[in-house]
Amino acid sequence: MKELEKLLDRIIQRININLRELDYDVNPFIKNLVPLNQMVKFYAFYGITPHHPLDLVFRHSSLAGSYLLGKICTRNSILYKSDIRGDELKHQGDVFRYQKFEIPVSRDEGIDIEDSFLVKTLVHNFSHDPETLEKFFIRDTVSAHYANIHGSPIDGSFLGPFATVDLTTMSDCVIGTFSYVQAGEVGHLNIGPGTVWVRSPGEFNFLYQYPLDKLNPYINFGADRPPQGLFIDFVEDRKEDFQRVFDVVNLETPVSVPPNTSLDRYAVIKPKTHISENVLVSQRAYLQNAWLGKGANAQEHCYIINSRLEGFNVSAHGATIIEADLGKNIFVGFNSFLRGRAKSRLTLGDESIIMPHTIIDIKKPLTIPPGHLVWGLITNSADLNLNSMTLKDFSKIDGGRVHGNLSFEGNGASFVSAFRDRIHHILEANGAFFNGTDNPGHAQKNQNISFNTIQPYTDGELEGVFPTIIIQP
Amino acid sequence: MSDYLVKELMVPLSEYATVPEGSTLFDAVLALEKAQEEFDRTKYRHRGVLILDKDKHVIGKLGQLDVLRALEPKDDDPGEIGDLSQYGFSSRFVRDIRKVHRLQGTPLKDLCSNASKLKVEDFMQAPSEGEFIDQNTSLEIAVLQLVMGHHISLLVTRGKKIVGILRLTDVFAAIFHTMKECET
Repeated sequence: MKELEKLLDRIIQRININLRELDYDVNPFIKNLVPLNQMVKFYAFYGITPHHPLDLVFRHSSLAGSYLLGKICTRNSILYKSDIRGDELKHQGDVFRYQKFEIPVSRDEGIDIEDSFLVKTLVHNFSHDPETLEKFFIRDTVSAHYANIHGSPIDGSFLGPFATVDLTTMSDCVIGTFSYVQAGEVGHLNIGPGTVWVRSPGEFNFLYQYPLDKLNPYINFGADRPPQGLFIDFVEDRKEDFQRVFDVVNLETPVSVPPNTSLDRYAVIKPKTHISENVLVSQRAYLQNAWLGKGANAQEHCYIINSRLEGFNVSAHGATIIEADLGKNIFVGFNSFLRGRAKSRLTLGDESIIMPHTIIDIKKPLTIPPGHLVWGLITNSADLNLNSMTLKDFSKIDGGRVHGNLSFEGNGASFVSAFRDRIHHILEANGAFFNGTDNPGHAQKNQNISFNTIQPYTDGELEGVFPTIIIQP
Repeated sequence: MSDYLVKELMVPLSEYATVPEGSTLFDAVLALEKAQEEFDRTKYRHRGVLILDKDKHVIGKLGQLDVLRALEPKDDDPGEIGDLSQYGFSSRFVRDIRKVHRLQGTPLKDLCSNASKLKVEDFMQAPSEGEFIDQNTSLEIAVLQLVMGHHISLLVTRGKKIVGILRLTDVFAAIFHTMKECET
């Protein structure tokens, strides 16, 4: 295991060099993040489909329990139970539009991970940086449990547990626990825990900051200990269900799956679940007594329990929905946690947008009327009044507004329009609008995926490290 | 430019407002008032107080802005407002939020009452390297030092001892006088 220890030390040193300006030492946060002996316990697996390039290169890396799809290269890196999903990467010949430029893509885009340590992290989408169209890089970076790196090339950064970096090129930053950043391009920032920041320069700037004393019971993280809180307990309680789907080679599909729907074999499906047409259920999703209407989706690390989604619902990576009834066309953003109770259900009206990293945790029934924008922490109707607004009213904001812990500057209509466009794009990419011939997406393309497994050295100096592996058609 | 030396323009330390380390802001304001009463009324008013340690060495200066800064209520100005700039909010937006917080916060009378009890060391500015000038230095060099360092006063030294304070107002008066001489 010596080589793996050296590899981790090398990664820590490199990221500390990048974060020296912020005077941030990642060492105490990383050393015990995952015991290195875990790295020999799990195989890695990769998908093969006719719809995505197969170009995998792994050098001097550990990939324990990780899933890889598409064109991916790892060097000097440790990936632990991470999902590197290269099914939305750009293809050679595509044209990337950025401001007034139309830039041709010269070769298939690849995800390139070097000198990095990713723990239970999702990497997805494609590089939105016009300066690096063909390489979606992650360098000198550490991400803790359930972080999302979505369309965001990253260099020299540390992402805390449940942090998300979305459509943002990032260098030399610390992103705190449960913080969400979508800001185009950022560098040398230390963003505290529980920050939700969405910025489009010249258009709008949305910033919500959780009261830390109220966030901590859900998720908190400190030096020399793993992340703690309700979010972690919730996932740990369902760990054994996932163990089974990873251990058993041939699993029977537990529910009826329509022909235009994709149910990943590494998802957990518990009884009384119903899946309609054009639905996408990704690996590591968890459905229990869940009713998914046409075009709905449940992406990685989504938990949908005792809930009904009427259709065309986006449950983004890491979204949890419990004891809730969702109308149509509802977006539930990254790592949001929506929890009703059996006798106090949560009801969401059509066309509502639940911002990424929203927590709704109620003990009395709560109804969110149709067409609302919802953010932050909501435990009752008073919180809802403070942390929501109709999309119509939000669109009228022009200038600045402070609303509870939310600061917003810019044009509300632009903000709402940007989110609506993106939701439509996500549904389209996921295959929600497939009519039998047109608009196929992941729900259709991922149906005939097959998986192969790869293993690390189980003993000796290289214990836990995978041999150099090149996988091509 | 002129034949003025710093020692001819400075206010001697004995005529300047000083308070010992450990004093309150209210002590400093009283010392300023007293020094002003005893000072030549034809000259510009003092604008600051020097803080002395137990050996009578100058360890800091307390200016008008420092006193106003002490009025800033920390509880009424949560850290998040200061953080807004790093998130790309405009200075106008941040200023507007501060105004709202201030109007909703502690009344000015209470702020003054609270601030008067605070210690001078918490708000004084420790003199930096460029704030010292020898008493025999010429006016030209003094002007250069004030302009380059954006200072409103310099501490005048004789050997290792601080013997006075050279104020921007007194330097300006000397320059003004020289200009008039040149034109007549």
